[in-house]
Formats: sequence, C-alpha cells, structure tokens
Amino acid sequence: MFSLIHLLLLAVSAQASLLTLQSPRFSVSDPTGTQIRSEPVSLVQKSSTPVNLTANNVLKLTFQVVDKETGKGVQPHQTFLRFYDEQSGEEGIQPVRVTPGGKAKFELNLARPPLSLPPTTDAPLKVSLIIGSSQYSPLSAELFDLILPLSHPAPVHPDEASFHVLPEIKHTFRPEQKLPPRVISAFFAGLVVAPWAVLLGLWSQISPRAPHLFSPSILPFVLSLGAFEGLLFWYWVDLKLGQVLLYGTILGVFTIFTGKQALASIGNRRLNRK
Amino acid sequence: MAPKSSAPTQQTTAIQTLWKAYNEQTSDRLKFIDAFLFFLMLSGIVQFLYCILVTNFPFNAFLAGFSSTVGQFVLTASLRSQVNPENKNEFKEVSPERAFADFALGSIVLHFFVYNFLG
Repeated sequence: MFSLIHLLLLAVSAQASLLTLQSPRFSVSDPTGTQIRSEPVSLVQKSSTPVNLTANNVLKLTFQVVDKETGKGVQPHQTFLRFYDEQSGEEGIQPVRVTPGGKAKFELNLARPPLSLPPTTDAPLKVSLIIGSSQYSPLSAELFDLILPLSHPAPVHPDEASFHVLPEIKHTFRPEQKLPPRVISAFFAGLVVAPWAVLLGLWSQISPRAPHLFSPSILPFVLSLGAFEGLLFWYWVDLKLGQVLLYGTILGVFTIFTGKQALASIGNRRLNRK
Repeated sequence: MAPKSSAPTQQTTAIQTLWKAYNEQTSDRLKFIDAFLFFLMLSGIVQFLYCILVTNFPFNAFLAGFSSTVGQFVLTASLRSQVNPENKNEFKEVSPERAFADFALGSIVLHFFVYNFLG
C-alpha cells in the first residue's frame, strides 16, 4: 500500500510542470547609480567570478518566474534567496516578493543589510535561488558567489557579564578532631569506672534482703527485664532499628504478663502483711 | 536538733546529726536506692569533667553518657519518693508496685534512646 502511494507520487511528479526564469539578471551599482557590473544569470551554470560588494554598493537581482512550456508568468508559493557560508555553516534565507505576474526584484543594500545575512568569514557566500510551488516541481539553482565586507561584531548584551562561569569555590574544612593521648584517655576511663566500685562497695555494706527474688512469681519478671537490657546491648552491637523494635515488642508483651504477675504478688504480700 | 555551732567543744555538728539520723531512720531499701543515686551523680560529674577538661570529641558519646546518668537519676529519684512509706499520703493513687513498673518502663525507654545515640 505504501509503495503504491510512492509510485503514484513519482508518476505525478514526472508529469508535473517545470518552472523557469525569464530574463534573470543581476547588477551591482554604487550609491551614485553608476553600474559597476551587470550580468545575466544562468540557472544551469553558476557565475564564474564571484560578486564583490564593497560598502554602500547595491546588488539588484531581477527575474520573472514563468511556466516552462507555456511561458506564462507564475507566482510561486515560496521564493527564497539562500545565502550559505560553507566555512562557518551558517545560512540566511531571504524571501523574495513575486508579483502575481511572476516578476520579482530583490535589492541588497549594504547600507542597510537584511538581518538574515550570516556574518562574514573568509569564504564567499554561496547565493542560490529556491522556488517552491504546489503545482510545479521545485527549483533550486546556485546563482553566484558573493563576497561581502566584514560584518560588525555582534552587539554585546547588557547582561552578558553575568552569564559566565563563576570562579570555582574552594571549600576549607575544619581540621579533623583528634582523640586525646592514650594515657589521658586511660586515666579518665578508669576515673569513669570508679563510681561503679563505689556503688558496689555501698551496696555490699547495705545489702538489703530480697527474700522472694527467685520465687516463681517474680523470677520471670526479673529475667525479662534482664532480657530487655540484653536486647538493647545487642542492638548497640549488631541489630538494626526495625529488628530491635520487633523483638522489643514481643518481649514487651511477655514482660507485661510476667510483670503483672510479679507485682501483683508483691502487692498482695505487702497488703496482707499490713 | 542541736543548733548549728562551730565551737570545738561541741562534739556534734548539724551535718553529723543529719547523717546519724539518716543512717538510723532510713530503711535498707531506701538506702539501697540512695546508693544508686549517689553513684549516678558521681558518674555524671566525672563525665562532665572529662568533657570540660580534656575533649568533647565524640560529642554524641558525651551527650549519651551524660544524659543517661541524668535521666536515670530522675527516674530513680521519683521511684524513691513514690516508694517511701512515709510519703504514702502524697501518692494515694500510685502503689509502690505501679511506681516500680513505671520506673522499669522509663528506664528501658531511656536506655534505648541512649544506646541509639551512643553510636
């Protein structure tokens, strides 16, 4: 199906009419009006010598677009002049106004150049004419080479200065904190452990009695409290937060029961004695 | 109560009287808790001195250790005041067993946060 459409288009284009230019001509004149150079333009062959324009020269290009077979004037849908710089790869497209009768006139005045001209480099501009129409097959022809005077440098935007890379930031960091010497550390470590010795000494002196500590109603509670401490130490060493919370919840449920039991028995004993 | 005096002829000063009364009148259990409180106070003071004198380099460690002593001191002090039979009129709705359960729970939560911060 797709290839069929291609074939049809090919057939249509093969039958399509051709356009041509009648009496195409260009001329270069200076501001006073005297003609410096005037030549006809050939569609088939590019002009051999490049057109040299100096400041204030005027380049005029005139032609008439006609149907090749009938010779009648045609106003195509698109008529462009393309200025292409091979060295920099820039191109400028300048539309050309064509009257309904097909007559076209293009004027390039260097005193007020069109904005579409690319900036001048060492290579000459290739000027070509491009005509497009829905009823005719397209036309593209290289006309001549154009040498222009140097263009002005591009105007600097007033905000230009703020659009450059800022100087690289060199961070300075605080020097790393160091541990104190081992002797001092050891001394103070001993000092911090000393209160434990004080505590154990005091406790041994006081030694309150815990007569029912290991009875079956209280022991599970004490053990589960100890298990909690062990769980927390294990968390410090190894576990992750989610794990310790999970184990802690399970242990907590267990501890609630044992705690209720233990404390209820102690309370009963206290109240009964009272 | 003997009046406060600094004359060398007086054998007892107010502090000595206070100490004697404390020793005689406080039950063993309360003394047990008091010993723990004293230990906590010493431990906290030593850690604080280290932080001031030497370095606070692993600052989180200092904070964890110091706050553990302070927090535990607060919990134990409240336990002691709630368990003391002489304070029974102050804490009518809190039985000593309930006080101990609160103490245990608070201690465990405190230890969890301290271990978390210890790093």
